Amino acid sequence: MKSYAFEDKVALITGSSRGIGYAIAKKFGQSGADVVVNYRQAGGKSQAQGGGLCKEIEGMGRRALLIQADISLKQSVKQMFNEIKERCGRLDFLILNAARAPFKPLEQLFERELKQLVETNYIGNIFCIQEAVPLLEKNEGRVVFISSLGSRFYNPEYPLGSMKAAMESVVRDLSESLSGKKIRVNAVCGGFVKTDSFKVLRQYMEDLEQLPDQFFVEPEAIADVVLFLCDPASRGIQGQTLVVDQGLSNTLYRPRPKKKT
Amino acid sequence: MKQTLISEAMVLEEVKKAIAQTLKVDKDSIQAENSLMKDLGAESLDFLDINYRLEQAFGIKTARHFVLEHIEEMFGEGSAIDENSQLTGKAIALLKIRLGNDLPAELRPGMDMDEVPPLVTVEGMAKVVLDILDTLPEKCGACGGKAWKSENGLRIKCSSCGGEATFTDGDTLTKEWLTHVQEEKKIF
Repeated sequence: MKSYAFEDKVALITGSSRGIGYAIAKKFGQSGADVVVNYRQAGGKSQAQGGGLCKEIEGMGRRALLIQADISLKQSVKQMFNEIKERCGRLDFLILNAARAPFKPLEQLFERELKQLVETNYIGNIFCIQEAVPLLEKNEGRVVFISSLGSRFYNPEYPLGSMKAAMESVVRDLSESLSGKKIRVNAVCGGFVKTDSFKVLRQYMEDLEQLPDQFFVEPEAIADVVLFLCDPASRGIQGQTLVVDQGLSNTLYRPRPKKKT
Repeated sequence: MKQTLISEAMVLEEVKKAIAQTLKVDKDSIQAENSLMKDLGAESLDFLDINYRLEQAFGIKTARHFVLEHIEEMFGEGSAIDENSQLTGKAIALLKIRLGNDLPAELRPGMDMDEVPPLVTVEGMAKVVLDILDTLPEKCGACGGKAWKSENGLRIKCSSCGGEATFTDGDTLTKEWLTHVQEEKKIF
């Protein structure tokens, strides 16, 4: 596995107390970066897990900062970035991973659910980018958005997919508008990952667990591509969304494997 | 019909087991009256995982949505939760009927909707499972047999053909109950 040299760099990963965000945060720590771990809900499992992750990163000899912030609230995002400025003095990598959405068909969403969907998964990400730009432009910073296959394929009762699609568009847009500030913007579109979100998905997608193991992506495989997009080696990639799905979306025809006799 | 093959104690044990596995806490430290969120640190995603484990254990399908969401689906947006995300008086009236003596003292009109999930307790979850198990049909859907058995105290099977019992799913059960209460009390 390629190792990256991110010493003296600072990475913020939103929603990183569990799942894919957790794996990304850990990998940044292993690559020498100082890490800001963000979670939304105070007093719950996320806070405890985020604290544990920070200890682990500190054990690697890096600095780790645990910040509670709800990205859908502008003031909360401002406070998070003020703390990063004060405590870290810089930001090199912004990884937009946090997501929150109801599982329901779009036509059945209540107004408040629709608002929450957009406020967290679109507006919240923009708030983070707006606050991050003054810091990122000082260091030729990188932004990586974590998307999912829901951005381009139908998943039952998964309104988050439309927000992921919107953000992939934002990535293309920002890649151009921030290029003058030497900030590179890309996305990673993950396939099925066996994280906490998967535990929810399997309730709405019956038989999802029948999918052969070969089509499930390890969170670490997504994290590796995120780190690659933060490394100078990927300097030619701009405004793109890289699909990391074990080839799941690459073929329409997939016959059932023959049983061995 | 009310089933007697799976005891309340067994259901409570299984609920504690599911919570312990999801939240990675010691099963023996979980008390029936504990709030999943306030006392045990559960978050919204965890509820679904706990439900999934219970579904696998008992062969049931739990509700995907809280009763407040069902009220709004049936009687219109704003009927249970107002524009400030606060519970309406009608929602409280309905919850009083649903929970009876178990109604938490904190429930009141004007309460923020985010304060409701923390009121879910371990024994409350067990009651939800028991309610679903009590929809055991009179006859086996496959062979028409009228005798049921449970070999492991968790799954109910037909004594004649061995087929798994099918239960009403949690969402349908909630909707049926709401329809019944509305017809009787005309709250909305």
